[in-house]
Amino acid sequence: MVLKKELMNKKQNNHAWREKLTNILAQFANYLLILIIALVIGALVMYLSGRDPISAYGALWEGAFGNGYRFADTLDRSTIMILAGIAGSIAFRTNIINLGLEGQLYIGAFTAAWVGFTFTNLPSIVHIPLCIIAGILGGALWTLPVLYLKLRWKIPELVPTLMLNYIAIRLTDYLIAFPFRDPTAPMAGSPLVAASARLPKLIKGSTINIGFIIAIVLIFISYWFIFKTKVGYEMRMVGLNQDFAAAAGLPVKKSIILAMLMSGGIIGLGGALMILGFFGRFLGGFSSGYGWDGFMIAIVAQNHPFAVFPAALFFGALANGALTMQSVTGVPQAVVAMVKGTLVLFVTVKIFLENIRKGLKKWVM
Amino acid sequence: MVEALSVKNITKTFPGVVANDNVSLSIEKGTIRAIVGENGAGKTTLMNIIYGLYHPDSGQIFIDRQEVTFLSPRDAIAKGIGMVHQHFKLVPSYTLAQNIALGVEPRKGILINETALNNNVQEIAQKYGFNINEKEVTANVSVGEQQRAEILKALYRGVEILVLDEPTAVLTDIETKELFVMLRNLVKQGITILFISHKLREVVEISDDISVMRAGKLVGTVKRSATNERQLAEMMVGRETIGGRIRKQSQKGQLVMDIKDLSVCDNRDLKAVNNVSLDLYCGEIVGGAGVDGNGQEEFVEALLGLRDISTGKIRIDGQEVQDLSTRKIRESGVAYIPSDRYRSGVAIDASIWENMVPGEYYVKPYSNGLSLVMPEIIQMSDNLIKKFNVSTPGIEIKTGNLSGGNIQRVIAARELGLEKAKVVIASQPTRGIDIAGTEAIRQMLVDYANRGAAVLVISADLDEILALSDRIVVFYEGLVIDAGYYDKDIRQRVGWLMTSGKDHGVEEGTHEQKAK
Amino acid sequence: MGNVDLRSILTIALFASALRMATPIIFATMGGIFSSHTGIFNVGLEGMMLIGSFFAVYGSVQTGSAYGGLLYAIIACLVVSLLFAVLHLELKANPIIVGLALNIFAVGMTNYLLTALLEVYGVYKTDLIVGFNELEIPLINQIPILGKLISGHFPLVYFSFVSVYIVYLILYKTPFGFHLRAVGEKIDAAESIGVNTKKMKYYGLLVSGLFCAFGGTFLSLSYLTLFSEEMTAGRGWLALAAINFGRMRPVPSLMACLVFGFADALAVRLQQFGLPSQVVLMLPYIMTVIVLFISAIIAERRKKSSLKKGEEDVEFSPS
Repeated sequence: MVLKKELMNKKQNNHAWREKLTNILAQFANYLLILIIALVIGALVMYLSGRDPISAYGALWEGAFGNGYRFADTLDRSTIMILAGIAGSIAFRTNIINLGLEGQLYIGAFTAAWVGFTFTNLPSIVHIPLCIIAGILGGALWTLPVLYLKLRWKIPELVPTLMLNYIAIRLTDYLIAFPFRDPTAPMAGSPLVAASARLPKLIKGSTINIGFIIAIVLIFISYWFIFKTKVGYEMRMVGLNQDFAAAAGLPVKKSIILAMLMSGGIIGLGGALMILGFFGRFLGGFSSGYGWDGFMIAIVAQNHPFAVFPAALFFGALANGALTMQSVTGVPQAVVAMVKGTLVLFVTVKIFLENIRKGLKKWVM
Repeated sequence: MVEALSVKNITKTFPGVVANDNVSLSIEKGTIRAIVGENGAGKTTLMNIIYGLYHPDSGQIFIDRQEVTFLSPRDAIAKGIGMVHQHFKLVPSYTLAQNIALGVEPRKGILINETALNNNVQEIAQKYGFNINEKEVTANVSVGEQQRAEILKALYRGVEILVLDEPTAVLTDIETKELFVMLRNLVKQGITILFISHKLREVVEISDDISVMRAGKLVGTVKRSATNERQLAEMMVGRETIGGRIRKQSQKGQLVMDIKDLSVCDNRDLKAVNNVSLDLYCGEIVGGAGVDGNGQEEFVEALLGLRDISTGKIRIDGQEVQDLSTRKIRESGVAYIPSDRYRSGVAIDASIWENMVPGEYYVKPYSNGLSLVMPEIIQMSDNLIKKFNVSTPGIEIKTGNLSGGNIQRVIAARELGLEKAKVVIASQPTRGIDIAGTEAIRQMLVDYANRGAAVLVISADLDEILALSDRIVVFYEGLVIDAGYYDKDIRQRVGWLMTSGKDHGVEEGTHEQKAK
Repeated sequence: MGNVDLRSILTIALFASALRMATPIIFATMGGIFSSHTGIFNVGLEGMMLIGSFFAVYGSVQTGSAYGGLLYAIIACLVVSLLFAVLHLELKANPIIVGLALNIFAVGMTNYLLTALLEVYGVYKTDLIVGFNELEIPLINQIPILGKLISGHFPLVYFSFVSVYIVYLILYKTPFGFHLRAVGEKIDAAESIGVNTKKMKYYGLLVSGLFCAFGGTFLSLSYLTLFSEEMTAGRGWLALAAINFGRMRPVPSLMACLVFGFADALAVRLQQFGLPSQVVLMLPYIMTVIVLFISAIIAERRKKSSLKKGEEDVEFSPS
């Protein structure tokens, strides 16, 4: 009798293990499939407009991973992608449609820059954290109007967050055109931040700096936060079913507020790292849509911090490689936006996954 | 006899279940045929096949002795069959006339001819003796009038066979009587009626013949004059089980929850709960009877802090709780089984343990500082699912993968399993659950009361109320009226109160009574 | 900063430009209303309009006529909305994400083609682009004040107002409209009378594409005859706010569009008075938030009047 039960248990465990394996393989295959679709579509557009996709993609790869320095630069580009992706993930997991990452990025970048160029007599060890905190606060505070509209007036955040993007860009444009204008800047920009606020570089010959380390650390922190803490649990449940969370006594309002503030704060951090690590000053139009990259990465990574890393790396590689691609083959960088967009277009298609899973099941089970 | 409709050897299978197993029956024109059976017996599937929504795997359908095949409801309507669904298919913002004529609107060029529309509808209404305000917006009329519109929708298209799916589920006793009068009138005009129900008393009252289904098979057809409720129940269930009174004896203890002068508004800011007072005592089960929509939902939500209160006080063990958060109210000892388990009971994409711990995760030993202590959580969840017989391969799987009955067990396990609650509020706890699950959950509630908690069961299923309650109150248009303790006449008292808010024999004007 | 006299700001010319600047928003709004009524909140209006703008210019150069440009825009937008429809209705992708991804894709594609096809960066402007000409209406243009307001607009401006009426007529006065709206409001009712709900949803999305083509064409072939990167500047989002404000009804939504058009026109006018462009250009977006705010206040007040026996609030929003 005992032997039979043991056999039954073993069979069940075996079954469960095979099922899990099937699921993981199916997910992997699905991602591969949509990646191929995205790259093919990009290639198609290039071909139809008289360009050679093979050499374009080749140059892209070279530019991103061609040598050690380029690889380090790719990692540097990935820093903002990681932070944007996590910012998006935290919001989406709580079912907050924060489309205002771009605006929060600009505000956070500016506040960090402000602390960077306003205070000139601080040691690095104090100045850098101060700037970073300013960046976080800037990004987070920029979400307050949306929170007010949502919580008090039940106005969904989708449109207000978008509007605040345009307002943020124009606001910061104004600030660097008038009160904080630096006439010596090559394009419209703020004064340079003090040397004490610049992030130490990691590798000579590349732009990579400690910002990358900060981003990696944040991946682990956000994993722990989302899955291992009380507040993370609350936010996840509110995101999965707000009615259930309320009926069960979970603090719904607090979770919404935290999710929005954290989302803005993390991408504000990203803005700070961009200014302190790469640009050295707040430059008008410095963001080539990183807020939207954050949205896309979060969707592709299904809001999981560990999946954000490879997605962010991919986006960073595209960003870095695209420069080389454009200068070497003349293919405009914008083709990369098309590849990214296509990826996201197909990533929520469930049918591929279902069919792949069915096929794999026959093979694995 | 003139045969209106018959089906021969209809079989329909869905993945894992044979919904209809070789069913054959024949219905005479101008009669009312009731199809009865428990949840899952196959009645609705059969009706959906007759109506053209489903295609049978095998078998034939005959209308006026001609074989027909339906590819869609449009074909069925063309052949003269119309269905009135349990959940109305009316667009809330359209007028009744617009809904009735939806799909067959009279036209003036490419535009709708509004005058013709309203006139045609009035004509049909008068022809069949229906009273209806066709220009009223559907969302603003009573449930009874909406049902009349649903019926007219079918008659407008010239149907001669009307299929009604659980039509009395949402009606009060008075509205039900009105419906039956209308059905008798229709039959006199030659309309044939198929009536699905599980309410044997009504079926015996209105039908000419009754077909009983069980587990997909047709058990038999009897003439109303030749049968009674008891026999039908036996045919339905296969064994003698009616009047299942589970509650044997009770021991009333002290007052634990007292609700005074509670008024609550609904989502449209209209008063849904009107100056209600109710006392709940330890060890006592109070049954809240009443058709859906008389304020039950708003009342329960107010008790749990999920809805704002206009006036009133709610006290638990003497402490006022009406202004507290849901969490604090639950910490005072309130357990809640919500009526809509998919909306408020669980998060279907979350794992079982995630649905098990919302009440405990934030205290020791389930959390430590900022973090969750997973081993403790896992163990607690494991224990609870074993204790409550939840059938699942593990606690990591998505809760949505479980059956309805098992999900309800998870909810019961969460709310009742740790035996901490002083007050249990269960709203429609066995709605849509299979027989075994229903019995289990009812027994859980009784056990909990026996252990000394106060239990409030709100249910639109009168049989459930009668099976469980020590004392019954009736929800009627925002009032909660005491029907007294369970005795042999309670059914009648409750029936009167559900219909009119007045106890039979009580003078006009004294319609508000406090529960003792 | 010049003399800011209200009289000199609120001129007839200002209101006339308000009408002109409302036009693309009106088109996008009408398109969005169509698909909202089938239950799909189309957040891709912005990208669809941008594609319309690009292909209108491209088509204008290729065919040598403004209407030729319009035709190219219509085809391009229909293709894009068909893609949206297939992704959502056949491949079961999430419509909000598809819409947003479409916007990103549209920006990428138009920027790419700007360089790869038209061989410029940032802005494409040449004399080869043939735009629409303003229409003077005889007799009306002689009415003092009102004449300047109504006459002298581009044909698409007039058409945008006509389209509001057409949309109203179709949705609320034809059987097709009733069937379509049932799909979004109570899909069971639509299915029970044999409406092909998937087909209706296709129509909803294709019609939004069609309207976005008109809106985009107007942007690049009327007052301005050029294409610049991301020239739709958020009008697709303003349309969503207008739809929300008007609770998916054409005429109330039109009101919001006029307010947005006015804000746009005011922003331009104020710049002429020396106010910094960056600040003034915030105006339309701030206005949008205010409009949403007002509709929320009205909604709250509407609920509080328990005496009002109006229609059920058929609100449509994704969150």
